[in-house]
Amino acid sequence: MRLAGRGVERGTALDKEILELIELISESNFVEFELEREGFKIKLVKAGGRAHLGGPSVPVAQALDAPPSPVPLPMAAVIGSEAGPRLHEIKSPLVGTFYRSPSPDSPTFTEVGRVVRAGQVLCIVEAMKLMNEIESDIDGTVEEIVVSNGQPVEYGEVLFRIRPGEAAP
Amino acid sequence: MERFFSASAPAKRLLKAVFKKILIANRGEIALRIMWACRELGIATVAVHSEADAESLHVKFADEDVCIGPARNSESYLNISSVIAAAEITDADAIHPGYGFLAESAHFAEVCEACKIKFIGPSPHVIRLMGDKAKAREVMEQAGVPTIPGSRGVLRTEQEALSLARKIGYPIMIKAAAGGGGRGMRIARSEEEIRSAYQAAMGEAKTAFDVADVYLEKYIDDPRHIEFQILGDEHGHVLHLGERECSIQRRHQKLIEESPSTALSPKLRKRMAELALRGARAVNYQNAGTMEFLLTPDGRFYFIEMNTRIQVEHPVTEMVTGIDLIKEQIRIAAGEPLTSAQDDIAFTGHAIECRVNAEDPETFTPCPGRVTTFHLSGGPGIRVDTAAHADCVISPYYDSLVAKVITRGNNRAEAISRMRRSLEVMVVEGIKTTIPLLRRILADADFVEGRISTHYLDRFLSRSKSVAAVS
Repeated sequence: MRLAGRGVERGTALDKEILELIELISESNFVEFELEREGFKIKLVKAGGRAHLGGPSVPVAQALDAPPSPVPLPMAAVIGSEAGPRLHEIKSPLVGTFYRSPSPDSPTFTEVGRVVRAGQVLCIVEAMKLMNEIESDIDGTVEEIVVSNGQPVEYGEVLFRIRPGEAAP
Repeated sequence: MERFFSASAPAKRLLKAVFKKILIANRGEIALRIMWACRELGIATVAVHSEADAESLHVKFADEDVCIGPARNSESYLNISSVIAAAEITDADAIHPGYGFLAESAHFAEVCEACKIKFIGPSPHVIRLMGDKAKAREVMEQAGVPTIPGSRGVLRTEQEALSLARKIGYPIMIKAAAGGGGRGMRIARSEEEIRSAYQAAMGEAKTAFDVADVYLEKYIDDPRHIEFQILGDEHGHVLHLGERECSIQRRHQKLIEESPSTALSPKLRKRMAELALRGARAVNYQNAGTMEFLLTPDGRFYFIEMNTRIQVEHPVTEMVTGIDLIKEQIRIAAGEPLTSAQDDIAFTGHAIECRVNAEDPETFTPCPGRVTTFHLSGGPGIRVDTAAHADCVISPYYDSLVAKVITRGNNRAEAISRMRRSLEVMVVEGIKTTIPLLRRILADADFVEGRISTHYLDRFLSRSKSVAAVS
């Protein structure tokens, strides 16, 4: 999508660039790599001299209480290597405006690090004054909230990245 | 005309204040065509697209673009709430629907109105009225516009068919009320033929549409399809921009259009134009529209329908009048009055349009795929409206139109020779197109001499088939 006034260009071109970057870093001797550009920041961390592929999963209880911190993305999540599961993407099923809470005063539906269940509402996409609740279609942990509150989204745009896993008991 | 329609009097134009941004609810060549008009008027554009069209030119050239759904039409280009939501998130003030898709959806025009987005086209009421063919015919009859004589409704008995046919004269046609595509359609040229035609049409209608209802109307041998371009503003002024001859068609799909028609004498043209205007005024028509007529070989004509949108073949009118119809649509929607009088419109030269479709030129089977080579002609009097380019993909999801080649000459002969040389050097590789067929038609003596009707193409095709069989 190209929307006037939006700094970040989303979609396949960017994803491809990130993948290429990860491949380059994986093959290099760097342990950590950080890049910041206007409206966009990426941080890649390697474990033990090679790409951090999966690794021990974060205990559920800890994840629930954990503050929404910018946890460096495990690379396996993005590149989907054989060693770790690929992050599950929740995409917008329609064009509209993305809201993280049911109303401006209410708490958000979810945060990064929280555990979600299939069927749980993650956000609202408003189109033509209709509030469309967008549900998670899997159990897992919210790894990333891609879109910020109040931002316009198009059909197929990635809203959340979820690490598939057991729901809380 | 120039002095009224060109941008030479910008001080009086409120346009920029009215529309800052227009969303184009279409794809392909017409989306680009609308975009060019917006650019020339200094209006920003928003393209909407399906996932299949993400790499299309209309997406690349728009100021903003929004993906509104998957490839399937019903979930993207026909999805009203998605189109409206795209207009809302981009703050577009108006929507141009192009042709096809939502262009003749009264409901869509209503939703636009309710959402305070200007729909660039006529009012929902007029779209609905003209969309209902029976009601449209009724309105035109009341306005004194001739319509094809026939039964006012469904035939109840064979006797009714007989007495009606006696009244209006043979040949007559019995058609399925729910019909289309030639099914449930029978021609009777005498009383003896009525009986079997009535039974056969009913039987076919029942099988094809599950409704045995049939009606009767006068059948016209060798008619021409003649349509008049109409422009109406929101202040009660209505103009016509002359006729287009669209007789070269196959299964109601036009292939070649031209203006003026070789069949109209100045007197007949004047009479048809007057009635076209009368019909448009009867419904207080606003924006661009087309009054379609069937013209008989002996110079009688009948209203068939009114299209409440811009037409695919609008460029031929633009080429002979010098008027940019899309800009006019936008200005009218912005509430500007048409300040010209009918007499100010000058018609000069002759224009022809050929539709290059991604189809097998023999069987007309659609032929989607990747275009490997795409070369166009240029030079004096040539215009090509297209969204295709080398390495583009003609999608199987949408219509097969690849390009419209339009030529203008000082007279018909010059327009034809320009079209010939244009198609001779037009190269589209990777897919099959109608170019070889168009080249053959342009070399056909009947076409060159203007001996055409809506039956022309079928005859031409069967003739060339028998020629092929003999050789």
